[in-house]
Amino acid sequence: MFSVSQDFAPPFKLISPFFILGSLFYVFSAMFLFSFSVENIALLDTKVLSFVHLFLLGFIMMSIFGSMAQLVPVVLEVGHFGVELFYAIWPLLGIGTVLMVIGFLSSPALLPYGGVVVLIAMMIFVMEIFLTIKKVKKLNNVMSSILISNTFLFFGIIFGLVIALGYAGTIEVDISNLLKSHVFLVIFGYIAITLMGLSLVLLPMFGLSHGFSKKPLEIAMTIMSISVILIVLSSFIDFVILSYLGYLLAIVSLCVYFYLVQSIYKTRARKENDVYVMSLFFAYASMIVSLIFAIIYLFTNFEPLLLSAGWLIFFGLFGFAVTGHIYKIVPFLVWFERFSPLVGKQKVPMLADMVPPKSSQAQFIFCAVGVVIVAIAILLQNDTLIKAGASFLLVGSLAFFRSVLYMINYK
Amino acid sequence: MYSKEELFLAISNVIDPEVGFNLVEMGLIYDASCDEDGNAHVTMTLSTKACPMHQLIQQWVKEAVEKMANIKEVEIELVWEPEWNVTMANDNVKKALGGG
Repeated sequence: MFSVSQDFAPPFKLISPFFILGSLFYVFSAMFLFSFSVENIALLDTKVLSFVHLFLLGFIMMSIFGSMAQLVPVVLEVGHFGVELFYAIWPLLGIGTVLMVIGFLSSPALLPYGGVVVLIAMMIFVMEIFLTIKKVKKLNNVMSSILISNTFLFFGIIFGLVIALGYAGTIEVDISNLLKSHVFLVIFGYIAITLMGLSLVLLPMFGLSHGFSKKPLEIAMTIMSISVILIVLSSFIDFVILSYLGYLLAIVSLCVYFYLVQSIYKTRARKENDVYVMSLFFAYASMIVSLIFAIIYLFTNFEPLLLSAGWLIFFGLFGFAVTGHIYKIVPFLVWFERFSPLVGKQKVPMLADMVPPKSSQAQFIFCAVGVVIVAIAILLQNDTLIKAGASFLLVGSLAFFRSVLYMINYK
Repeated sequence: MYSKEELFLAISNVIDPEVGFNLVEMGLIYDASCDEDGNAHVTMTLSTKACPMHQLIQQWVKEAVEKMANIKEVEIELVWEPEWNVTMANDNVKKALGGG
């Protein structure tokens, strides 16, 4: 008998804290929404910055990092350089997130400390990924996407730390200029390109899709990379066309990416619409609406459109892409650890049996309604609607937390 | 010692936990043979190269054949050509997946 290594499924105790903590931060993000009023809804409001870091670092990044512990070897087809390093990442990222959230809210002096802790967590992650990529003999386009996205993350967090030092008054920098680069490097350079690359592996794998062209991924990634570089350059060169070209290319890249997703969807053999597929439907619908808002914003400069577009990208696209995939990744890891040794000896559950139907559906419905209501609330600048959306999101996020615990404790 | 059909029958006990079908009805087992000395050879594929369970699934196939009487050795050959697609699955699978 040949032994089955854990290269492709690291120990679950290593990854589970990422998902437990991530889903808790998702709940906290929904709670945070209740504190918003129309006066706070502005791009550089400290409450918005605090909320964005709570959601993106605490939930999105935490969940992505946990997922990458399992997905990187699958995508790169080699074992991790040092998967044990992930034991250090989640506590550091968790502590750093809390410090940054408090820092933005009430104690700017905490920002550099939070920034440094987050920086250390992310540097460990990025270096581990780079050293794992080093083991790969020949890079394919998905592997390239991991390399590119992590390079952008590397620079994105350095920009972030410089901004944190600027906020705290430790150094003098033009925060608004650097912020644009930080946002693009992390959100589009890292999260969006990671999402694009992983889509090419995960969507066909779960949908059993075959026979689609992979070319759009290369095009979307190249355009997005140029967009991010242009935006970073525009932070240093006073040439307004660079920024606009960067924004435009980001929109074009997401449109090409959507074409790829659609072609994978069209060629899928598996037609059932479970909570995973429904989550992705909502995620990509949010992306399309967000792109429309962004395009209108470019012509109108009406800030609520940009804020609503950002909200839809964060809570709609990223949020639902992450929650949807957690319904696939967590059952697999639990199943691998708990049930795979029992195959052939006793009846074992299917992966789909491990997803709680009621709480996963409740999460999907309540969160989807909440995201739509808040998007409208931002557009209309309506306090009551924000609270209404927050209520839906809180119920949905609690259902998600319950689903995660259910899957982790499935016996 | 064993015919292809007998080997396929043994392997049909192996179920893909993601989709819930056995590997034979999924069309993932391309060929199987066994000589008079009990040395079996199975040629198979997976629905995707990135399948995180690829080691486990090969092990299950090996164990399923090893359970047959007088089998000495089982060799699993994982191939990617021809690339698997749903047309290789049987009608029940196609219908259950919604494509048939």
